[in-house]
Amino acid sequence: MLDAIAAGLLALLTPQALLFMLIGVVYGLVIGILPGLGGVVAMALLLPFTYGFETEATLALLLGAHIATIWGDSVTSILFSVPGSAKGLALCFDGYPMTKQGQATRALAASATGALMGGVIGAVFLAICIPLIRPVILALGPSEYLMMALWGLTVIATFSEGSLVKGLIASVLGVLVAFVGMDVVTATPRFTFGSEFLMDGISFPVAMIGLFAVSEMMKLAVRGTPIVDRALMQETSTVWQGIKDALGHWWLVVRSSVLGLWIGVLPGVGASVAGLAAYAQAVQTSRTPERFGKGAVEGVIAPDATMGSNEGGGLMPTLAFGIPGGESMAILLVAFIGLGVVPGPEMLTKNLGLVFSMVWIIVLANVLVTLIGLGITPWLARLPSLHANLMVPLVLCVCLVGAYATRGRIEDVVVAAIFGIAGYLMDAYRYSRANFVIGMVLATMIERNLHISLSLHGNGFLMQRPIALALLVLVVLTAASPFIRNWRKRKRLAARGAST
Amino acid sequence: MSRRAQENIVAIVFLAMFAGVVVLSLDFGPRARMIPLPLGILGVILALIQLVWQNLGSTDTLKMDMIEVSNPPGVEAAAAEARASEAKARNAEPSLSRRAGAYGIVALLLALILAFGPVLAVFAFTLGYFVVTRYYTPILAFVYAAAFTAAIDLLFFVLLEVNPYYGLLAPVIARFQ
Repeated sequence: MLDAIAAGLLALLTPQALLFMLIGVVYGLVIGILPGLGGVVAMALLLPFTYGFETEATLALLLGAHIATIWGDSVTSILFSVPGSAKGLALCFDGYPMTKQGQATRALAASATGALMGGVIGAVFLAICIPLIRPVILALGPSEYLMMALWGLTVIATFSEGSLVKGLIASVLGVLVAFVGMDVVTATPRFTFGSEFLMDGISFPVAMIGLFAVSEMMKLAVRGTPIVDRALMQETSTVWQGIKDALGHWWLVVRSSVLGLWIGVLPGVGASVAGLAAYAQAVQTSRTPERFGKGAVEGVIAPDATMGSNEGGGLMPTLAFGIPGGESMAILLVAFIGLGVVPGPEMLTKNLGLVFSMVWIIVLANVLVTLIGLGITPWLARLPSLHANLMVPLVLCVCLVGAYATRGRIEDVVVAAIFGIAGYLMDAYRYSRANFVIGMVLATMIERNLHISLSLHGNGFLMQRPIALALLVLVVLTAASPFIRNWRKRKRLAARGAST
Repeated sequence: MSRRAQENIVAIVFLAMFAGVVVLSLDFGPRARMIPLPLGILGVILALIQLVWQNLGSTDTLKMDMIEVSNPPGVEAAAAEARASEAKARNAEPSLSRRAGAYGIVALLLALILAFGPVLAVFAFTLGYFVVTRYYTPILAFVYAAAFTAAIDLLFFVLLEVNPYYGLLAPVIARFQ
């Protein structure tokens, strides 16, 4: 284990890996600070650049960018009360009042330090969990993996934003889209309509670029205004004040980080919930809850620590079971596929060094984000005033040229454009794009494990695998839970109505 | 067109797609259709439920909110506020012309890339965009578009060594090469 920890760090200490991490962090900060362009867009746009480089360097680029976007997102929430994505919402409650009081630098420093501490706690948790979870993973077979993938999909559809039925439709469609192309088990071309190009299937990176990056640019084009049109306030606080605040509230950081880890481990329950839950936890445990909402620094530290640690938690199911915790983890899985890295038991046996490289990336990227972020915050904070008319053509061009670059096939540009329009429509009509992507990523796992289970244990494989059967019951219960809850709620309301 | 009518069209499109999957899957062998066929049927059922439900009630009530499940009292109001602002943003629908414009932008860039290849398309698109939206003066637009195109060319086609594509210009380029 110690060898793997050392090997993981050593693999990152190459010029390429360090340079890529630096590029990823700076790029992630810039993207994160532009509202609407969160970590998912940042990672989707990087996918074309993940081929032909060292695996660790590529992961440093992707994870570095993703981690940086988390904090970049906090910047606009604190400075302008404009969260880049839903996860930054909790930071508006106290971060923006601090800005209005001329405490923006203090709030940003506290937020960055909180995120750094949370990130480190998340990475340590991941490192500790690896030896603990390894025997469990090795004991599971294809039938259990099949059921876990189905459970993951159900949880994601159930807990993600919007209606359950729409979430399930998006998940089912995602799984079906992944089946386009030649079936590797039966050598049957499926949904190819005789097209030679479709025989190779839909390229995951191209689909991601379309679904997230192109569609976000379309949204921006529709809006057609500067992302944020507000001036910065006069500043009276210092960076050191914020750092002292975060260190002084270390117990709040630890509690928030544990919460973030727990939420990260659950598939489909994203950082948006984590931020709000951390804020609530900070209010509940505070001796002076009346200060919250008026510029309490704890209201900034807690959500950021939670979101920082959320990544370590989210990586757990992604690496151990190949079940992404959220859309950004789904994109990371896509990158794994491109790099020839298979999550699951192999990840924790043959690629243990790589796993620890990721742990180190989380730590180092968090440190870099804090150092660079604090240094260039005043400059970064002006980025959101960029006009959509500048952003749209530039990012859209990078998207479609990037789609072409993934495989050097011009048809991929068409696919990216189609997925872009589909992503825009899905977002407009509230069909979760995250569910679609996670369905796409889990499809191969579901089909492969079903075929293996049938070959190994026959049609009644569930009867021979009690854990798989238990997981199936869990799938059914998870899918039924919103209906039961809804029924109970109506019953309660009816009873209340009758009593009054 | 009302929001409900738009939602109905989307649900019908999904229904048609899933029905198509079912029909196509019937042509596959038993193992190849083992997952697509049941999933297609499930999709048809879900799309029908969505279609019926959105015309009779709201499926939005059918969701599990982790905040509600964990029920921390302090966050209820915050979550409600977030949902309200989200709903407000959703209800502020953009005009049809703006949405058509967004589709048009993607379609135009796609057409340019297919016709002339990525490099020329990037230049023409960015230059045109800057000029039409009057973001820059024509001269500045030309300079910035040229610089951006050079950066794209350097990054993708020189550093990453992606094979260039010239579209309709391929015979002309071949003559010069």
